[in-house]
Amino acid sequence: MHFSITAGLKAVIEGLPYILGGVWVTLVVVVGALFMGLVLGTLLSIAHVYGNRVLRGLTGLYVWFFRGVPLLVLLFLFYFGLLGALHLDLSPFFVSIVVLGLISSAYQSQILRGAILSIPEGQLKAARAIGMSDTKAITFIILPQAFRLAIPGWSNEYTIIMKNSAVTYALGVAEIMARANHVAARTYQHFWLYLLAGFIFLILTYAGTKLLGLLQKRVAIKGYAR
Amino acid sequence: MKDSAMPANVPVLRIENIKKRFGDKEILKGVSFELNRGDIKAIIGPSGGGKSTLLHCINFLTLFDEGHVYLNGIEIDHANKRELYAYRQKVGMIFQDFNLFDHLSALQNVQIGLVRVKKIPKAEARERAVAELERVGLKEHMNKYPAELSGGQKQRVSIARALAMDPEVMLLDEPTSALDPELVGEVHSVIQKLAAGGMTMILVTHEIGFAGSLAKEIMFMDEGVIVEKGPPRKILYEASQARTREFCDKIIHFHHREDDQE
Ligand SMILES: Nc1ncnc2c1ncn2[C@@H]1O[C@H](COP(=O)(O)OP(=O)(O)OP(=O)(O)O)[C@@H](O)[C@H]1O
Ligand SMILES: [Mg+2]
Repeated sequence: MHFSITAGLKAVIEGLPYILGGVWVTLVVVVGALFMGLVLGTLLSIAHVYGNRVLRGLTGLYVWFFRGVPLLVLLFLFYFGLLGALHLDLSPFFVSIVVLGLISSAYQSQILRGAILSIPEGQLKAARAIGMSDTKAITFIILPQAFRLAIPGWSNEYTIIMKNSAVTYALGVAEIMARANHVAARTYQHFWLYLLAGFIFLILTYAGTKLLGLLQKRVAIKGYAR
Repeated sequence: MKDSAMPANVPVLRIENIKKRFGDKEILKGVSFELNRGDIKAIIGPSGGGKSTLLHCINFLTLFDEGHVYLNGIEIDHANKRELYAYRQKVGMIFQDFNLFDHLSALQNVQIGLVRVKKIPKAEARERAVAELERVGLKEHMNKYPAELSGGQKQRVSIARALAMDPEVMLLDEPTSALDPELVGEVHSVIQKLAAGGMTMILVTHEIGFAGSLAKEIMFMDEGVIVEKGPPRKILYEASQARTREFCDKIIHFHHREDDQE
């Protein structure tokens, strides 16, 4: 294989529409996983902070497991192992979202837990003192503040999930990496196509963190710097 | 008047033999007293004596080990959540460090209990919240966030927040001790206004001058018991217990020295 810029650019230009088609797949996987991670992670963080010893133990175990096992192992475990054992037929796309979402929920629960714990305890007391149930106090007083504090952590989490989503190509999800791989195998221009894939990821992570930065400014509490 | 519906002889709030331990330390060793409508009682005493713990127990923010709490003669069962939440609205609590909700404006701080707890429609709740803020002299600051308010203003917002719930009793835990001296007056005058309006109150404070001018009874609390209680003049200057005398002497001297410096 020779290293030729013209051949490389030709492969890139010809493959671009097909590879860009993978951006949507990647985005749906990433946003889906982040959203699932947010919902589950929020519940986990609440269980971890406000739950009894049993709940805390269980959430701790969950977090420990999903933070400790490699993504690829989990993808294979769920797709080839669990689905087979349960006689379920789900798409690799769906399984990828779920597995990334489960992992993200473990990380997001820790981000949120830190955020919740940094809110002065007196506010929960004050909420109770005006007759709020704990559920109301958490919903209307604690979480709105914790979510704001968690945005920088989420920004980080977004880039990690974005990058990790490339691994789902191993299940055959037609995302950016899988498509770049496909074109590379056909044209033998691996260098240029992987460079292209890397570049697309770079733009996606950059755009996402910028967007979250804007969100952070938008929802910032007036006069408040923490 | 509200109290026409109540038998005149039933205290608004009565607590009976409250005991609380943290670990193997007994913090409250059986505290009892009662408040009739319009009563204002002050609690003074050395740091660590259990004053804050007592107020927290009255509101079930801290669960006590033994004892009973009655509102208008009816014992409160904290295990019954509905009853507990209704009770807490009736017993307003003011904290030393305000505990405003940081993400909400002054107006929203007062409004949120009306909307989320009392389920009053937003527009109506807003009107009520504005009125409460006006009562504490903060109407023109209602759109400011806690971080934009002074300590005195924050404490007044927290008083408005409690008043919005229509409390029958207010528990105030050193409401001005976190404030710069020049901000104490504005909070004191709000409390005085409440007193003039007939609010039933328990005031924990180190400001004996203020306590003496406001309360009809002062209770001296130390090591988890109410050592003695009586009219301000008696407790502050002619206490029968040595412990009370020692504490009051110290704090009176301290205040005089502060006054000299001014
Ligand atoms: N959650 C808790 N766990 C363990 N000990 C506690 C707890 N809360 C209070 N205490 C202890 O109970 C004792 C009484 O505390 P409390 O805050 O009621 O005193 P206080 O009279 O309000 O004092 P101060 O004048 O300093 O406010 C203290 O020794 C304190 O360390
Ligand atoms: Mg105290």
